This record gives sequence, structure tokens and C-alpha cells, in this order.
Amino acid sequence: MPTTLTPAEVADPGLDEVVDVDRPWVVIVWNDPINLMSYVTFVLQKLFGYSLEKATQLMLDVHHKGRAVVANGSREQAEMHVFRLHEHGLWATMSHDE
Amino acid sequence: MSRFRAPVRRTKHGIVVAVGAEERALVVRLLGELRALLTEGLTEGADPEQADETALLRRLFPVVHPDDPEAEAEYQRLMRDELVTSRLAAIDSVEGALRSAEPLTDEQALALMQSINAVRLVLGTMLGVGEHGVGDDPEQPEVVEALEASPEYQLYGWLSWLLEWTVRAQT
Repeated sequence: MPTTLTPAEVADPGLDEVVDVDRPWVVIVWNDPINLMSYVTFVLQKLFGYSLEKATQLMLDVHHKGRAVVANGSREQAEMHVFRLHEHGLWATMSHDE
Repeated sequence: MSRFRAPVRRTKHGIVVAVGAEERALVVRLLGELRALLTEGLTEGADPEQADETALLRRLFPVVHPDDPEAEAEYQRLMRDELVTSRLAAIDSVEGALRSAEPLTDEQALALMQSINAVRLVLGTMLGVGEHGVGDDPEQPEVVEALEASPEYQLYGWLSWLLEWTVRAQT
């Protein structure tokens, strides 16, 4: 009886070739001159459960910096967030996390 | 001296929208026009007169993948109709609520905010509202002046006022 197992040959899984199929996506809200600041803050609180302080800071980032990342996640999650933001009239896009 | 009461306020029975019958009728009429724009203005076709209506709606259907036309086409194929359906459902909810004397539920108040904001997005696009305000061009004061005197601008301002009070009532 052998005391050690002979290593079995296995196929090279080719890790270098594995595609990252679900690299995180980010949801971006862009500044626009029509939406009210109070309304944007309210929507961010409602959709993402953010505190008033966090939602206000994100709204101010949108206002002053032109955009803010408001959420991230899988493609499906990001699409759902974007859809709900659009339902409320906010200007939202999604892109791969960088 | 009478005490100031907010035009939209939360009570123990729900959200009260205390505007006059004419103002309520105005909101209902605007929502009807928005419905028509959503259902009739989105028909694809070669009619050049539809081009203006499509432009008015661009803020209601933002581009999601600005750098990836293929992904954008796929997203719009899957989601655009759903967004139209959602907007129409919100309009239906608000119309029913405003025709009733009952206070609004939180859900109806949210639909009110979504719908009047959608009208504001259309009016704001029509008025060319930008970072520099209506008309968005300080170099053309006569254009700005004419826009500010327009009924659409007065309506835009009134809807902004109503939306602001509705947000306050919810928070």
C-alpha cells in the first residue's frame, strides 16, 4: 500500500484567463439645474436609507463637484438603483468601478 | 392675525394638500398632458413634429451607459417601457388622490412628487433651464426676460414651490 498519494494531473484552470464577470458597478448621480436640492436629498434618503447628513453630503457633492457615487454593487443591483433614480427624475448613470 | 399654514402638511390622517380647487384642477390637467406626452410622444416615426416632443422627454429617460452604445441599447430595450409604465401608474395615483377630498397617503404623496417633478423636468427643458437659470445665457438678457415672462416659467416656479412644500411634509 503506498504511503503517499500520487498527485493526479488536473487541467490547468487558466486563472489568468478567468473573466471578472461581475466587477462592481457604481451608480452616479449627476448635477442638473432643474432638480431641487431638498428633493434630491429626500430621494437619496428614501431609496438608499441614508441618514439626512449622508444624503445631504452626497447632494452637495453632486451640486458642487458635478457628480457623486451614490451606490455600488452588481450589474443587476446597479441597474435597479438607476431605474429607481430615474423614476424619481434624477439624472443617474452607471459604470464599472475603477 | 391668521396663523400661516403650510400648503402641504402632514396630519394624523395623512398628507393634506391645501391648495384651491383651481390649482388642483391645474395639476390634474398638467398630469394629463404629461400622460399624453409619454404615450403619444414616444412613438417612433419619421414625423419631424415628433422630434420636439422627444427632446422634451430626454430628461425623463436619461442615458444610462453614455460610453457603451451596445449596453445602452440593451438597457433601454429592457427598461424603457417599464419606466413609462411606472410614470403612468404614478400619474393615475395622483389624479385619483387629487380628485378626492381625502388626505394623501405617503405613497400617493410620493407619486405626487415624482409626477410634478416630471412636469418640471419637461418645462425646465422647454425653458432651457441651465446653470445660469432660465435660458442659461446671461449674454442674451432679452431672451431670458422673455422666457421669465412666459406662462411656462410661472408654472415652473409654482410647481417648484409645491414640490418644495411636499418634500417638507414628508421629512
